[in-house]
Amino acid sequence: MTALIARLLMVAGLFFFFATTIGILRFPDFYSRMHAAGKGDTLSSLLLLSGLALVNLAGAPLTFDNILVSLKIMAILVFIFLASPTATHAIIDAGYASGIEPWQKPGTSKEGDDDLAV
Amino acid sequence: MEALLIAKYNYWIYIIIMMIGLYAMLAKNNLVKKVIGMGIFQTGIIIFYVSVGAKKDGNIPIVEHATSGHQAINILDYTNPLPHVLMLTAIVVSVGTLGVALAIALRIYNRYQSLEEDEILEQIND
Amino acid sequence: MIWQFDIILLTLIVLCALFTISIKDLLGAAIMFGAYSFLMCLLWTEMGAVDVAFTEASVGAGVSTILFLAIVHRSTRRVKVRQRGRIFYKGLGLTASLMMGGLLFYASSDFPAWGDPLAPASNHVSPYYLLHTLADTAVPNVVTSVLADYRGFDTMFETSVILTAGLAVLIVLRLDGSRTGGPVRKMARPIAKGYEDTIIRFISRAMAPFLQLFALYVLAHGHHSPGGGFQGGVILGATFILLAISYDLQLVVQTFTEKTALILANIGLLIYSGTGALCLLLGHNFLDYAALAKIIPGATTVTARSDGIMMVEIGVALAVMSIIVIIYTNLVSDGTYEKGL
Repeated sequence: MTALIARLLMVAGLFFFFATTIGILRFPDFYSRMHAAGKGDTLSSLLLLSGLALVNLAGAPLTFDNILVSLKIMAILVFIFLASPTATHAIIDAGYASGIEPWQKPGTSKEGDDDLAV
Repeated sequence: MEALLIAKYNYWIYIIIMMIGLYAMLAKNNLVKKVIGMGIFQTGIIIFYVSVGAKKDGNIPIVEHATSGHQAINILDYTNPLPHVLMLTAIVVSVGTLGVALAIALRIYNRYQSLEEDEILEQIND
Repeated sequence: MIWQFDIILLTLIVLCALFTISIKDLLGAAIMFGAYSFLMCLLWTEMGAVDVAFTEASVGAGVSTILFLAIVHRSTRRVKVRQRGRIFYKGLGLTASLMMGGLLFYASSDFPAWGDPLAPASNHVSPYYLLHTLADTAVPNVVTSVLADYRGFDTMFETSVILTAGLAVLIVLRLDGSRTGGPVRKMARPIAKGYEDTIIRFISRAMAPFLQLFALYVLAHGHHSPGGGFQGGVILGATFILLAISYDLQLVVQTFTEKTALILANIGLLIYSGTGALCLLLGHNFLDYAALAKIIPGATTVTARSDGIMMVEIGVALAVMSIIVIIYTNLVSDGTYEKGL
């Protein structure tokens, strides 16, 4: 039972990784690509690591060593959840400070980007 | 010949990685690219040594102690730890060498305003 | 040892190496070198070399990338593109690489098959280490016991090499007499002055104590899990680099001054060789930790070796941490500690 949930979590994590990669390749400009990379990477890492923590508990009996290893994986999870969005924020801020223009859909006028010049 | 091919292709790829690093050190114009080539060469050698010690179905070289009692340790179960020790030293020395190489490149840039080797040689030869 | 995984990883590694040396932008080359190092880590973990992969992940992919970024920040980002020329050097490089590669290919026919458990490299000294490490030193991690006990001289001189590298960086960047060119040159690419960001600063400040706690954990658990002195020391140094990047270089330089760093690095090497000298004073050979059983209360020779390994790992961690901070702060500020990354 635990093994089934663990496998479902890992497959979901892989699916989000795949979606992230497609997003990085197909989105038109820097900001949307970083959006896909940051959020997709964090979520898929979280799902994969949760799946791994459960896989560790699934096979062997529930000893203290096994629970300790799963707790350590959870600690890595918390760290990734804190650090990865911050890194994405740093990259996007650096891109904005270097003056990268967001992508405009070709054919529309450029009146609506006053709200970016805050 | 087939046995040679299948059993040895890993070494060939390590040799390719080392030669990429050597080519970058010799033929590239930019000083930082040469340093990157040095780094690629170093990691290529490290992977060569580590693969020499690898064993099929070998576990990591951390010997179980209390759980298995003090029964005999089967050395075929564990990968060879000796290349790992040598390569640990090599990695840390490589980062020291990298720091010194980049410091020298920075001094050269401050003096000649360029990181390209041919421009530096022109300025020296004037 | 899954060969499909190996093939995919090796192909990616070769592609990364080729892209790294041919990309026309130094910043991109530095980032791709970091990606190449991470792929190498994955490959080494898959081959069972977890200690080596841990060291490369912290040192090669972490600190090396930031050192490359520091030099790109201080110099230029462009690589000059030339249409023709340097054919001679490229031809020479290609010939030399191909000849050397050809010789190595020919020599590789003599190698044992990859992953062979009965290869000669695994047959002479290393079975002794694997079989006797628990009985001799009570340290399950064979790599740590070989590094700090059986081959302890190597590690002591390696620590002195790290110390020398830090001193060399200081000396190379501080020769003020030969700084020709007049006034201090302006920076090549002006960065946003005083760029501060609450989120980055808060997260770095909140994470740094936990990172240092993790580094001490890695140092202390080197006996039972992959880790040890080098990895712990590098992660400790990396926390200072994190604070220097997210805040200001001045913050780190004023708290962790150059004098403190140099003194700590020397204390680290002193702890290592001092442990050896202590063993010498107590009547045994240099770095024979069994002598410490005489002064540590309630220790047998076996646990004394374990304690001796712990002491020298602490020395190594101190030295490595200080030298990483020295190398970074000097590279990124050109020896002047004025403006940082």
